[in-house]
Formats: sequence, C-alpha cells, structure tokens
Amino acid sequence: MWSYLVRRILWTIPITLSVVLFTFTMFTLVASDPARSYAGKMATDADLVAIRHRMGIDKPVWLNIRHARLTGSVAAAFDSQFFDTLLFRFPESMRYQESVWSLMKSKAPVSFSIQFPVFVIELGMQIIASLWCARHRGRMGDLAVTFLCVLGMSVPALSIYMVAQWLLAVKWQLFPIAGWDSGLAAVHFMAMPILVSVICRMGAGTRFYRTVVLEEMGADYVRTAKSKGVGTSGIYLTHVMRNVMIPILTRTVTALPTLFLGALFLERLFQIPGVGSLLVESIFNNDRPVVMVVTYAMSVSYCMALLLTDICYTIADPRVRLR
Amino acid sequence: MTAALADHPAPGAPISMSQPRSPWRESWQRLCQKRLTRCCLAIVGLYMIAAGAAFTPLMDTAITRVAGESYQMPSLAQPALWLGTDILGRSVFWRLLYGARVALTLAVLSSVVSIAVGTTLGVLAGYVGGWVDNVVIWLFSTVNSVPWILLAMTLAYALKGEPILGLEISPLAVVVMSLGLTSWVGLCRLIRAEVMKLRDLEYVTAAKACGVGPMRILTRHLLPNVFHLVIITFSLMAVDFVQAEVALAFLGLGISDRPSWGRMIDDAKSELLRGVWWQLAGATFAIFLLCLALNLLGDALRDALDPRLRERN
Repeated sequence: MWSYLVRRILWTIPITLSVVLFTFTMFTLVASDPARSYAGKMATDADLVAIRHRMGIDKPVWLNIRHARLTGSVAAAFDSQFFDTLLFRFPESMRYQESVWSLMKSKAPVSFSIQFPVFVIELGMQIIASLWCARHRGRMGDLAVTFLCVLGMSVPALSIYMVAQWLLAVKWQLFPIAGWDSGLAAVHFMAMPILVSVICRMGAGTRFYRTVVLEEMGADYVRTAKSKGVGTSGIYLTHVMRNVMIPILTRTVTALPTLFLGALFLERLFQIPGVGSLLVESIFNNDRPVVMVVTYAMSVSYCMALLLTDICYTIADPRVRLR
Repeated sequence: MTAALADHPAPGAPISMSQPRSPWRESWQRLCQKRLTRCCLAIVGLYMIAAGAAFTPLMDTAITRVAGESYQMPSLAQPALWLGTDILGRSVFWRLLYGARVALTLAVLSSVVSIAVGTTLGVLAGYVGGWVDNVVIWLFSTVNSVPWILLAMTLAYALKGEPILGLEISPLAVVVMSLGLTSWVGLCRLIRAEVMKLRDLEYVTAAKACGVGPMRILTRHLLPNVFHLVIITFSLMAVDFVQAEVALAFLGLGISDRPSWGRMIDDAKSELLRGVWWQLAGATFAIFLLCLALNLLGDALRDALDPRLRERN
C-alpha cells in the first residue's frame, strides 16, 4: 500500500505541473495584455508600466537570462513569470491589494459553511431516496421520484435560484433576499441558499445511486441474505449499503475540494462573499492572480482527493488492495 | 479446398433469402417502440425545425425590430407579442426561437469537437497502449483535475475577444471551443476501456491474422463497435452544453453578439424584481423541454444500443 501511495503522489506531480503549464499558457500567451484590460481605456503609459510591474508581467516569460547576467547568479534566471507561477510566488490581488492566499483564507470558510451542510443533507437525502426507490422498484412512487429527478436535472439551476429568490424572499418574505453577516448571524442568510442548492442537486445523485443500488439488488449475496432470513431493512442498510459504498465514495470524495470553491452562481446571486463570488468578480475585473491561484489550488486538491478516494476504498471494501 | 467449402451451405441448400437486418436498423426500431421516446424524438425534431427556421434572414430582422413598448406584457394579439417584449421592446418570442438556433448550433459543434478529441484519444490509448496510453491518461487527468466550469471559464476568458494567430474568432466559436475542449474526458475514458476489451477479441485477432493493417482495424473493426457509446454520450452531452451556455452567459463569458437562452436568463436577473417574468419563463421552459427530451432520449438510446443492458432486461 505504501509503495502505491508513493507512486500516486509522484503521479500527481506531472499532473499538477501540466495544469500549471496549461493555465500559464492560457493566461500568458493567449490572452492579450492583462494590464491593458485591467487599467481600462483611460490609462496612461506610466499607469500601464506600474500595473504590469504589480502583476509581475514585466518579467520575461520563461527565463530571465538578462537578470542573471546582471546579478551574476544563476538563480536569478528563474525570476520569470513561469517560475513565479511554478513556485507559487503569486503577485497580490489587483483589486484587494492583498495576497491571494490571505484572501482565500478569509473567503474559503464562508463557502465551506454553505457547501458543507448542502453536501451532507444532499448526500443523506439522495441515498435515502435511492434506497426507497430501489425498494419500491417499478411502482408509482419509484416512477414519480425518478421522473421528478429528470425534471430537476432539466431545468437550468440558475432559473431555480432566481425563481426561489423571488418567490421565497421577495414574495413571501421568508428569508432575506441576499447578503451575509459575520459569525452566527450568518445562519439567517444561509438557510435559503442551502435549501435551494439541495433542491437543485437532488436529481442527478438520486438517479445515479438508484441505478447503483438496483444493480446490487440482483447480486447473489442479496439472495443468500434473504434466504437466511435477513429482514428487508437489514439487507438494504447493511448488506447493500456496504457494497454501494465504492460508487458513493467515487462520487463524493472528489467533490470535497469543491466545497471550498463554493458555487459560483449561487454565491454571486445571493451575494455570499465566498471563493465562488471572488472568482466571478475577479474574472469580471481581470484580476488575473486570483483566477490563477484558484485554478491551481483546485487542481492540487483534486489530485489529493483522488488519493483519498483510493485510501477510502480500502477501508470500505477490505477486498481492495492497493498495489 | 473442399474442406474449406464444407463449412458453407451447399449451393442448393435452403438459406433464408431475406436480407439480414442491420444492427442499426434493429436499434432504431427498438428505440421507436416506446411512445415516450417517440415523443422525445418529436420534441427534438421540433427544436431542429425552429433552429432551421431561425437561419432565414427574416429572423435576423425579427429579433432586432421593435415590436412594442418596453416590457410589454405577453398577449395573443400577434406572434411577436406571444411572450411580451424585452427592455428595448423587441419580441421575446422571436428571440427565443433564435435562441434555439444558437443552442443547437452550440450543442452540435461543441459535441463534434468533444467527440472528435475524445474518440481519437480513447481509441488510440486503448488500442496502442504503452506510452500512448500513458500520455492520454496524463492528458485527461490534467483536464479532469480542474473543475469543469473553471476550465471552461478560463478558456472562454482567455480566448474572449482575442485574435489568435491573426484570426478573429467569433464569440460563438469561443464558447464552442471552451465547452468542447473541456468535456471530452468522460467519453475518452469510456471508449478507452471498451477498446481495451475489444482489441483482444477473436475477430480482431482474426483480422490481424488476415494481414489487416492497424488503421483499418481501428476504423473498420473497432470504431463501429464503440460508436454506440458516442451516440449515447452525444445526447447527454448536449444537455450539459445547453446548460453550460447559461452558466457562461451568467459569468459574462457567453455569446455576446446574438440573443441566446443563457443571455435571456441572465437579463432576467434584474427584471424579475420588477415583475417581468416572461423572458425568464420563456427561456427556462425552452431549455427545460429540450433538456428533458434529450435526457429521456439518452436513457432510451442506452437501452436500445447497449447490448449488455439489453440482455439483462
């Protein structure tokens, strides 16, 4: 298992590197002068030079040979845009004049406090609903739930958010329309976004787990359990549940990093100051460092989550051996 | 010589003269058995007709012409007012129809990009194996490691409004590229796994023994046998693309030079508080119906085309 883990960790290095390379290429070579788009049309040349310096794009793209020659040290050659990115030496956010990491540190908990409850409630409800559907397979209830799931999957999430905001907050005034507060007072603002995102995401998961559970129901061990007199709930909750853990883990563990990313539209629409709305705002404002940092952070944590998935497999299913 | 011929029926033996039905035709008939599936096919057909109608020059004037006052309520007086008007007094109904053209063009073109990349890489990785396989795994792990929307957003952001190699690319092409180049991973994995299974089967070995070249094996023997996966994925991918356009429009990275469903929903953000619901309702319903039909069609296609599922039921 240890050699497997080491191999997997080594495998994340080329992946992270290629994500860095890809994002870097996208932002540096394809996009035009970000300083120009940040500064706007009215900027003078001096402004542009200052902004370029702050963004760190006055450095050469790959290697800073001139700098190395001037200072006489080889290390100075790596003072370039690419190595800045590679070594995670990011310039500070243009708009907030703050290091991107400290910005993330203040935003990530906000996103997490919305996404984590959503994640837990959603997962619990999806599994319960799918078990229930599998139990009543082919009957009216199952058909109705499956159909509702497809309905939910077909409506654009954004429309659901907007209608819910209008109906629940404006019309019936059950919740505040949008906003955020520090500390425990935020619960007041959290309720509606959580409710709405759970509704939005129920469909796809329930359908997926239903298929998984139904596949397991045909297995031999279920028949054996039945024949030795295990009750229905016993079959579902212990025998089947244990065996559907693998697809559940595959689906959920890799979703963990996105809990910190938050939902872009949800946060934007309900004005929640999380990472998602920071990202959207940064795109609108051409705040390049923020967009790059978030992209990297996501890719690294996704690779870690994949690793975690594999480790969880061995816990959920003792037959799985990592080699 | 005689021994080889013995396996074949003698010239006079009774063999069934009826043309064997092709598997595609059989699948199509199986697909059309259920009424629900026929309904879905009809709905998708209607959208295609609407999209086709929106390609006429008549529509170009209809979407920009002022049909009434700003935010006029829907009325049955004339087709242009069936869904009211937007802030500039333009007909929402015509813009909605035009949106069908944008959505379908987008879905088809993005799928073509995505399927081309996914199938090529998947077949190559599965058949050739070795370092090619490793490179493809590395490539799709990279793409997969960044959340899809983030990647599409980055691409759309980077490509937006920039001439690439001196070529001006239209906003539609930007969206198509950013969606197509970020969504091929699932299909690529599916096809890779399937090809790995197929390449060791007897008929491939037989083809090799007959001296058939690798290109011909790939295109004539393997590709047709994984093509049902492409069709199933296509119908489900189209749903994602139509919905992703809404997401990109909301982020200001959508198709900026023409009306689209995403932009209509995005516009409705501020309108809803003023009681203007028709733009949102129209676009949402249009997306909903199309996605519902495609979702159900995707399931039906899977049932009709996937032989393993067929045996089980």
